[in-house]
Amino acid sequence: MEDLLGSLGSLLASTIRNATPLVFAALGGMFSERSGVVNIALEGLMLISAFAGVVGAWLSGSALVGLLFALAAGLIFALIHALMCVTFEADQIISGTAINLLALGGTGFLMVLIFGSGGTSPRVSGFKEVAIPLLSDIPIIGPALFNQSLLVYLMYILIPITYFVIFRTPFGLRIRATGEVPEAVDTAGVSVTRMRYYGVSLSGLLAALGGVYLSMGILSAFTEGMTTGRGFIALAALIFGRWNPLGAAGAALLFGLGLAITYQVPQEAIPIEFIQMLPYVLTIVVLAGFGGRAIAPAAIGKPYRKE
Amino acid sequence: MSEDRREPEQSPRGSTLRRLLSDAASALVFPLIAILISFVIGAVIMLATGHNPLAAYVALVQGAFGSPTALGRTLLGATPLIFTGLAVAVAFRAGLFNIGGEGQFYIGAITAAGLGVALGSLGPLGTLLVLLGCLLTGFLWGAIPGFLKAYFGAHEVITTIMLNFVAILLATYLALNPLRSEGLVPGTETIDPAARIPFIGLGLGRANYGFFLALLAAVVFYLLLWRTRRGFQIRAVGLSPGAASYAGMGIGVNTVLALAIGGAFAALGGGVEVLGVYGKMSIPFVEELGFTGIGVALLGRNHPIGVVLGALLFGGLTSGAQEMQFATDVPLQLASVLAAIILLLVTATKLVELIVGKRARELASGTHLERETGL
Repeated sequence: MEDLLGSLGSLLASTIRNATPLVFAALGGMFSERSGVVNIALEGLMLISAFAGVVGAWLSGSALVGLLFALAAGLIFALIHALMCVTFEADQIISGTAINLLALGGTGFLMVLIFGSGGTSPRVSGFKEVAIPLLSDIPIIGPALFNQSLLVYLMYILIPITYFVIFRTPFGLRIRATGEVPEAVDTAGVSVTRMRYYGVSLSGLLAALGGVYLSMGILSAFTEGMTTGRGFIALAALIFGRWNPLGAAGAALLFGLGLAITYQVPQEAIPIEFIQMLPYVLTIVVLAGFGGRAIAPAAIGKPYRKE
Repeated sequence: MSEDRREPEQSPRGSTLRRLLSDAASALVFPLIAILISFVIGAVIMLATGHNPLAAYVALVQGAFGSPTALGRTLLGATPLIFTGLAVAVAFRAGLFNIGGEGQFYIGAITAAGLGVALGSLGPLGTLLVLLGCLLTGFLWGAIPGFLKAYFGAHEVITTIMLNFVAILLATYLALNPLRSEGLVPGTETIDPAARIPFIGLGLGRANYGFFLALLAAVVFYLLLWRTRRGFQIRAVGLSPGAASYAGMGIGVNTVLALAIGGAFAALGGGVEVLGVYGKMSIPFVEELGFTGIGVALLGRNHPIGVVLGALLFGGLTSGAQEMQFATDVPLQLASVLAAIILLLVTATKLVELIVGKRARELASGTHLERETGL
């Protein structure tokens, strides 16, 4: 019994750790998609931020500077996506794919230039676990939920905050309206372009938190291609959660559980490759089961032109 | 699509040749602007990192086209990209994104690696059977996202991306377990040389007849889409799903077929790569050819001629990058960066509008989907 509870606790802790980058990216994706811009660039935004964070921490020796580097990188790449999709009316899925490839190629290029070789970067100081007094003493869930990195606590706080922002503030209303009926937003004298830049920028900042947690929360180094599809899984979580922060976070937790299980299954039982397939298969099954019924923001994917 | 559209003021007077030339010229506007800007950005990156862009680009071009060996390397690099480019283009014609070329390529590669060893003793007949096997597995694998899209509403962008991971893991498992060779290099057994695709020779290095198979695939692509009823339906569904459905064309069946045919093209590319270049599938296997296919297809405006030209460009970029790194110390990963920037810019309607004026919007018709994305 003790053993079972113990492994349940460690599974829960692992679920939280795996879900955290997904939650950040999904919340970010929500702002972008709610404003009408498809964001399959989340994968690349996380990757470039994961890298920038490590570079910042490596240069300065401070994790906080790393975080700032990551946020800047996420913002810059998101602004490139916004520039292409909103200003230049490029195809949003193609732009997103290009951002992903740019992040992959760019980090590979910069790894060689900065660290002299590809593969894995030197180790840097990351965000260590900080136990919250009292809460972390609760049996099982205490250590799992409240003995985590500061970024995890930030994730907890951001879920209700994004919910409040998107559904209870004028800014959120404008973002949502821009994704549903941009004409109305335009008529009301609010710039559709500006709202979409805000939406995409927020997605860059939030995805950056997810990326930096990967490279400096879970690990303390950058590895090429380390996001391994997490940006896309986050996007699936967003769709599954019907573009709602609470739903998206819930779905991200489910996928986090899927990822956590892949690390817990004994390798002798099933070949490792099949265990590693689990989160991807889960994503497909969830999308096929529920994705069809999710209704996307009406104006998503379409550039807005003033008539 | 621009190549189908006759401009009303031109068609009565202009000759067919003139129309073709003007269509070709306008089809080149988006790609040329994208390529030019990406090379300018590349030059800025090189200046910023203390390299000489002029020397680097000279080395790049020489490494891509400067000698028979370089040209052979470019053809070698372009071959898989023609297949993965066609895989993206056929889906795009049906109004769908196939981001799954990477996984489909792996499915073809492992099929060829497995079947090739089994049928190697049959010689050229074995080659043919192996390639047919790749067509089949690729078709079935490609049909999965089509089926999930048509009947379960799962968006193909995400399902094809997820299936990439599944396919790569599946191929890795097969290559390292049931098909694993006794040798030291992790991967499958080597295929009997008699069943492999032969080299072209002529001083072209390792370039093989797979390049001509790729050209043949481009011809088949053209005939399929523009000379058959099914191809007409696939294009009609892509151009206007509402009208196609009203005309009695099944959206579902054409969705499944377009993605399945795409899968078959990409898998054939994987098979040709195994039979022509490596003679086996070692792990890790070549990466990113499926993703680069997206850039190839869009640069080539989803037309077979454009795809071949796009593949030659990207193939040349990869091939030249090795020479560039050797001669000027610029990391060859710059080629991936340039390719990504080209893809980033190649659909940027407004950007082209800034340069060539209002005509850009009409020229953009080959680069944007008519269908709802809903993602």
